Amino acid sequence: MAGTFLPLLVVLLIIAAFTRGDFALTLIYLVVGALAAGMWWGRRALTQVETKRRFSKHAFLGEQVKIQLQVRNKGWLPVPWLEIRETLPVALVGPNSFQTVTNLGPNADAQFEYIVQARKRGYYPIGPLSITTGDILGLSSSLRAEIAAEPFVVYPKIIPFTFMDVPSQSPQGTLRSTIPLFEDPTRVLGKRGYTSGDSLRRIDWKSSASSGRLQVKVFEPSIALETFLVLNLNAEDYYYRSRVDSTELAIVIAASVGNWIISKKQMVGMMVNGRDPLAADGRPQSAPARKGKQHLMRLLETLARVETSDNAALPPFLQQQRYQLAWGTTLIVITGSANEALLDELYQARRAGQNAILILAGGNPSGEEALRRAHAFSIPVFSIASERDLNIWTQQLRHA
Amino acid sequence: MNPEFPSTPARNEKTFRFFSYFLVLFVMTSVVMTIGMVLQTGSSWHSEMIIGVLLFIVIDRLYTFRQLRSLTPFSSEWAIAVGGQWILIFLLLRLLLSYVNGLESFQNDLSLFARGYIAELFTLEFVVTLLLALLVWFLTGRFLDLLEEIGLNPTLALEENPVIQSQVVPAHQRLVSLVFSIGIGLVILTALARVDVEAITTNTQGLPRIEFRRLSGGEAGTLLYFVFGLALLSLSRLMSLRTHWNRLRIPLSSQNLTRQWGKYSLLFLLFLAVFISLLPAGDSFGVFSVLGALLSFLLGVLFFLGQLLISLIFLLISLPFILLGGGLPNLSPPPAPPPLPNLPAQPPVPVTDSAVLAMIRSILLWGSLAAIVIFVFIQFARQHGGLRAALRQSRLMNWLSQAWQWLSRNADKTRAGFAQAIAEGWQSLVSRLEGNRTLPLPNLLRLRSLDPRRQIYFFYLAMIRRGDEQGFGRNPSQTPAEYAATLENALPSAAEDIDSITEAFMAARYSRREIDSREVEDVKSMWGRIRRTLQMKAQAHKKQR
Repeated sequence: MAGTFLPLLVVLLIIAAFTRGDFALTLIYLVVGALAAGMWWGRRALTQVETKRRFSKHAFLGEQVKIQLQVRNKGWLPVPWLEIRETLPVALVGPNSFQTVTNLGPNADAQFEYIVQARKRGYYPIGPLSITTGDILGLSSSLRAEIAAEPFVVYPKIIPFTFMDVPSQSPQGTLRSTIPLFEDPTRVLGKRGYTSGDSLRRIDWKSSASSGRLQVKVFEPSIALETFLVLNLNAEDYYYRSRVDSTELAIVIAASVGNWIISKKQMVGMMVNGRDPLAADGRPQSAPARKGKQHLMRLLETLARVETSDNAALPPFLQQQRYQLAWGTTLIVITGSANEALLDELYQARRAGQNAILILAGGNPSGEEALRRAHAFSIPVFSIASERDLNIWTQQLRHA
Repeated sequence: MNPEFPSTPARNEKTFRFFSYFLVLFVMTSVVMTIGMVLQTGSSWHSEMIIGVLLFIVIDRLYTFRQLRSLTPFSSEWAIAVGGQWILIFLLLRLLLSYVNGLESFQNDLSLFARGYIAELFTLEFVVTLLLALLVWFLTGRFLDLLEEIGLNPTLALEENPVIQSQVVPAHQRLVSLVFSIGIGLVILTALARVDVEAITTNTQGLPRIEFRRLSGGEAGTLLYFVFGLALLSLSRLMSLRTHWNRLRIPLSSQNLTRQWGKYSLLFLLFLAVFISLLPAGDSFGVFSVLGALLSFLLGVLFFLGQLLISLIFLLISLPFILLGGGLPNLSPPPAPPPLPNLPAQPPVPVTDSAVLAMIRSILLWGSLAAIVIFVFIQFARQHGGLRAALRQSRLMNWLSQAWQWLSRNADKTRAGFAQAIAEGWQSLVSRLEGNRTLPLPNLLRLRSLDPRRQIYFFYLAMIRRGDEQGFGRNPSQTPAEYAATLENALPSAAEDIDSITEAFMAARYSRREIDSREVEDVKSMWGRIRRTLQMKAQAHKKQR
């Protein structure tokens, strides 16, 4: 535009100087006024547009979620055109993302609705929403603003178990036990950093004050019985040909087992060695063993977000975390393959009074070898190649 | 989903075509009128007849544009159609030009044609009119071509060729350029039409003085041209946006976008008209006198230098003749170099009724011009990244930027001080009227300015403060839950509210979850009930005493 606008203005100024103003000045006002007023209108219109999304930020697999988008012009200046484009993940809506064009009068608003389908587990951004407007003459370029994305979590698939064939030492075993076992708050074992979900009553205020970070008390392990799901998301531990499916299956198993344990009113914790896009250091936070639906939702939220990572071997991670677990805790390790180091670590856990169960998720050529070795260490192993294999825990009770 | 209306090009094609053609007709009429006015002032030609013919060509072009466009360019059919059209225009022009000079002249021209004196028929007036006809024919076609590309022709507009699209300037931008380019031409033409040629030719001494006559009719045509041009640009913008949305398959969710667009465009042009009419114009207040004097001075200097250069060349040519003793060749003597023009001592200021009014208008005019120049400069710098970077590095710009920051900081401070002074004054006035003491401003807390989380803190702390005043103070070692239990014992009727407000406070204070305004409203109503209970308790206590 400047290509012709500037020469016109220069010519007008020269003519205004020679002719002493009059019509040339009027034309200068007209041309510059049209450009300036148009630009001002466009910018003003963009700043006075307010958008708001309303939707349920969590969904289970297969659910349809309605997203309401409210666009409001909070000023007195009308918005002649407004192009609205919502960037949406392909996994939720396919190739067609939401986009529309509208205009808004003074203090007017417009409501839009669109539906996303929770087709795949994950942590998705809804947005960013881009709104574009501009002047009505097209003398200046269009103006665009972006409204930040909001997170949307699709929980992993949960397969409801009716029975789980695990040794009686496990928390499921406590259902049969007649001895009620609880944590004894009088026997403090040590301290550890506060993690989300820890009870406020467990906080050790003195050590928190001296260390400058919240610390919680760890009680004597010998009196607690808990289950810990250990989910291995180290990419190298899954067979490369079926890595994506196998890791997803591992997550489904973790979610289903967690659901089963919570439904039996038992405590379950979880540790994952994958990558969490929300965590500051990228590592998912370990969830301490707790009961209840709320805790299950927290576990599912973590499972919805986690992704595989590289160079995050499970044995050192397990070794590091295991010492914080109570005596008698059952470790349900869900992994793609089990090497010597992992089996050795599980064997050490057994020797330390913790129970270990190994679930091999997805097909792996070295699965037979892992099974043989695990039997040698007396560690129960379940090989789950696909979701259908989980039927062993969904149908057995019916047979019984 | 909301009901959405597909922005099919066919749906609005007829409306757009009608308005486009209508506006192109008006734009071209303005052009023709301006040309006619110029011809009228500068010569004794038959300008009315020329205007009529040119308008006829515009209408003919508008009418036949689609038929001509459907033909393959430079094909035999196209050549016959265009050729036929131009032969008709040619004959019509010639006959009309002959006819307007009288029946005798018409017969004379016919006899010249019959005898084969074709060259005699090509008078200057006829040739210029023919060229103008060609120009008008071309410009009308160019406008229509661009509008077809913008959106009048859906097939052409939606044609997807990413290579071409990335290289070619968008059609709307080309239309803007065309409108402004024609505008430049018209402005120059209008200014030239006002030049008093007689005054220039009579002034033979030194620098020729350019004298301008008063307003001519061409100005109105040019001004109308720009007004209709802007209206055309508005329509073109809408069409180009609709084409863009159609190309990206973006549905329209507004039924009245086109109607509202028209309304807003009219309002916008109306606003511009009002705005322009309010701004000072004319040859007043010395602004343009100064500018004109400066430009005249610049021209004078250039003319002086030119004369000097010619004198030197003349001297160099004549030098060998003088040295060889021969006579000077028959060269015309160089013109005497003109005296350097003087800068105007004081611009002429027109006499007005009121000196104050004149000063205000003068300030307005200077201010508007300064604003325009700064605005244009900023726009130019924005569109030329290199210039912007260079300006940022220059010392002068740094100094100016610092000066601006200093000014804006001081302006902010002054504004804040002024606002505070007003607020204090108002507060003092209100307090006096209410008979209350003036509250010290720094301690004033505006609840509405706090975020929801802090508003909950505020209500909880208010509960503790009021509780303390009633003798139910909080022990520093007490947790919120423990204090809630203490207060509940004292105020059993408000136990539920105390419990809820405490829970809300703990959630606000110790959790990371977002607190929304609805929760604040709940807490506010809880605090209202607790306060009433506390007041009732206090009154009961007084009565007991």
